[in-house]
Amino acid sequence: MNRREFLQCAAVMVSGMTASQLGLALSDAQRAHLATAPNYNAGKASYLSAAQRRILAAACETIIPRSDTPGAIDAGVPNFIELMVSDWFNATERAIFDAGMIDLETRIPQQYGMAFDRLTAPAQRDILEALESAASDHPWYEFGNVQRDFISDAPFICQLKELTIWGFFTSERGAKEVLRYNPMPMQFDGHLPLSPNDSTWAGVVES
Amino acid sequence: MSDTINSTQYDFDAIVVGSGISGGWAAKELTEKGLRVLVLDRGKPIRHSVDYVGEHAPSWKFPYQAKKPRELYAEEYPVQSRVTHSFNEATRHFWNNDKQNPYDDNPDKPFMWARADVVGGRSLIWGRQTYRFSPQDFQANASDGHGIPWPVDYEEMAPWYSHVEKFIGVNGRKEGLAQLPDGEFQKPMPWYALEETIGERLKKKAPDVTLTNSRVAILTEDLPGRSACHYCGPCPRGCSTGSYFSSQSSTLPAAKATGRLTVIANAVVERLIHDPATGKISDVQVIDTQTGERASYSARLFFLCASTIGSTQILMNSKSDAFPNGLANSSGALGKYMMDHALGTSSMGVFLDNMDSYYSGNRPTGLYIPRFRNLQGQDEDADFIRGYGYQTYTVRMDWSTSFNRKGFGADLKDSLRKPGQWLWVLSYFSECLPRESNRMFLSPNKVDRFGIPQVAFDFTWSDNEINMQADAGRQADRLMKAAGAVLTLPGGTDMSIPGEGIHEMGTARMGNDPAQAVLNKYNQAHDVPNLFVTDGSFMTSSSCVNPSLTYMAFTARAADYAARQLAEGLI
Repeated sequence: MNRREFLQCAAVMVSGMTASQLGLALSDAQRAHLATAPNYNAGKASYLSAAQRRILAAACETIIPRSDTPGAIDAGVPNFIELMVSDWFNATERAIFDAGMIDLETRIPQQYGMAFDRLTAPAQRDILEALESAASDHPWYEFGNVQRDFISDAPFICQLKELTIWGFFTSERGAKEVLRYNPMPMQFDGHLPLSPNDSTWAGVVES
Repeated sequence: MSDTINSTQYDFDAIVVGSGISGGWAAKELTEKGLRVLVLDRGKPIRHSVDYVGEHAPSWKFPYQAKKPRELYAEEYPVQSRVTHSFNEATRHFWNNDKQNPYDDNPDKPFMWARADVVGGRSLIWGRQTYRFSPQDFQANASDGHGIPWPVDYEEMAPWYSHVEKFIGVNGRKEGLAQLPDGEFQKPMPWYALEETIGERLKKKAPDVTLTNSRVAILTEDLPGRSACHYCGPCPRGCSTGSYFSSQSSTLPAAKATGRLTVIANAVVERLIHDPATGKISDVQVIDTQTGERASYSARLFFLCASTIGSTQILMNSKSDAFPNGLANSSGALGKYMMDHALGTSSMGVFLDNMDSYYSGNRPTGLYIPRFRNLQGQDEDADFIRGYGYQTYTVRMDWSTSFNRKGFGADLKDSLRKPGQWLWVLSYFSECLPRESNRMFLSPNKVDRFGIPQVAFDFTWSDNEINMQADAGRQADRLMKAAGAVLTLPGGTDMSIPGEGIHEMGTARMGNDPAQAVLNKYNQAHDVPNLFVTDGSFMTSSSCVNPSLTYMAFTARAADYAARQLAEGLI
């Protein structure tokens, strides 16, 4: 049930208006609603070069690969990260990101003879695991260190992981096809059985 | 009531300043009693449902996919964005822009002032917790000597609590507790399986506490024009079906239905004009926030419901020869005896019970543990007076609370998409003592964009609140063990910043003695018979429960009294 259908049902319950009347009454106003905005990760990014985009996409896909469900590339994560780096990062964070990208772009061909995105999946994973191993003492990894906006001095690999995971599970495909999404539950059940393979609900609930 | 009281000599019969929890109630009650009412609000006009632009927006539609726009918030909303978790891109249009409407904050003694900036005020973004004060709460000042005695008792207020509860719709569970009187409840919201597990254990191992439903102004059964909760969440984005109580969903429509309501938005009240010849308020002077134009409106009756800080600011700025220290302030109490609930996370417990039990739907509230300290007089082991309650929250941890982990690939993806452990959180809210030194005042040198002096604060916690936070932590540890937590994470040790409770109150307290109190037992100014103040300003003590229901009950009672006084020609 989308917002408009729900509102029409609700309005019929509440005011006795017919659904068609309400649809007409709300159509203009609804255009300003966040729920009808375009997906954020469909925005046009212009921060990276084509070569860097290929590297970033390969790195995101190494973190969250396609399996029987969509992966990072399917969910639009690389473009999300490019938008975040150009529009949301501060100068400190952007400098760390830029240096990390340049490192992958220049060091990998010297060491492996080809670009990061041309390597096999296991080789790509080895490279990122080495970066993680080198960064593993950083407070980013401390248990429970999640209630914050962002850690400005987090190493490149931590930036990549945080933005990939965040960008994936808050994306439309991540939320609907990997997690479970139900915007209008209609009732509360505190005893829903959970099977070992079930996903969490999408969406962070504030009280 | 007949319309004979209407007089063309005045623009309106009554003017209500503010349209939040209290202002909405004043408008409803006064219009229903036959008065022509003008409601003034400094906030933007907003239409119920139509203008809830963040409602039901999924994460992928948000700018930055719901990561907060840090620069914008730091620059323009430094207070609002930190004072509540409810502030985000889906709710921002409800809140005050701190850069546009600043106050004079003292960095050495910070105070956080959460402010709305729309018609409906904080009733749109409130936490919806709805509790009655107890007989003990109304007796507290008289029995331990802090502050001044309440001029009313519980018995006097009980029918007004009922009157309000029936209209707003409160769901909860009757418990028969003296310290948390039962009200008129709709059927309670269901519990998580884990909460039932915890409840059983607490009954056995901590029988001195009660775990009950939080009592919230959210419908579980339809009321006229409003439908039961759909468990969509989060509430503060606004609710098209009116499932939670707000001025927009409930009181303003009721007032509008009488045909006697006028609402003017974008209208900042600069001052009230006191006529020394009559001893009454004659006019209110306003400034249009969009054009800067000034206007004034006359009435026979004035209700200040602009929020504790807002109303007190107006009174302080309405000085005259008759009232050189602020309007209706012959007592000198105006601005003093300010209170706010201290609050904080006392304990977070990780649970491995009911792991194969999940949930469906977003229940828009947690459970509640009512006050259990100092109930039968002073507990021997308590180094404080009065008490606190816990709001409890049950959370199933997920990717968003554990994304900072090592690993890559399919395994990482799979573990991130599945639920983690259960978390049960105990958050305390403690009663704050009324102290003369906790006060607000007008800045000696800073004015806002309208030329109105900014407000400033001088507020510190006393040992009583500090000792209570420590006790709440110790007791929470005991309760977590009794509940069966496998691991507990202690809460913070810092006191909350004053104002952070968003329960600021007490700056125009009520009392029988005009030398000590601004208002009498009917929220009427001792000094000015046609002036009533019914927001949190009137509070003589703070209890430890959320205060909004008490504001509403006193507002309804004050409106009833004022309308009768007016009809009898006594005002």
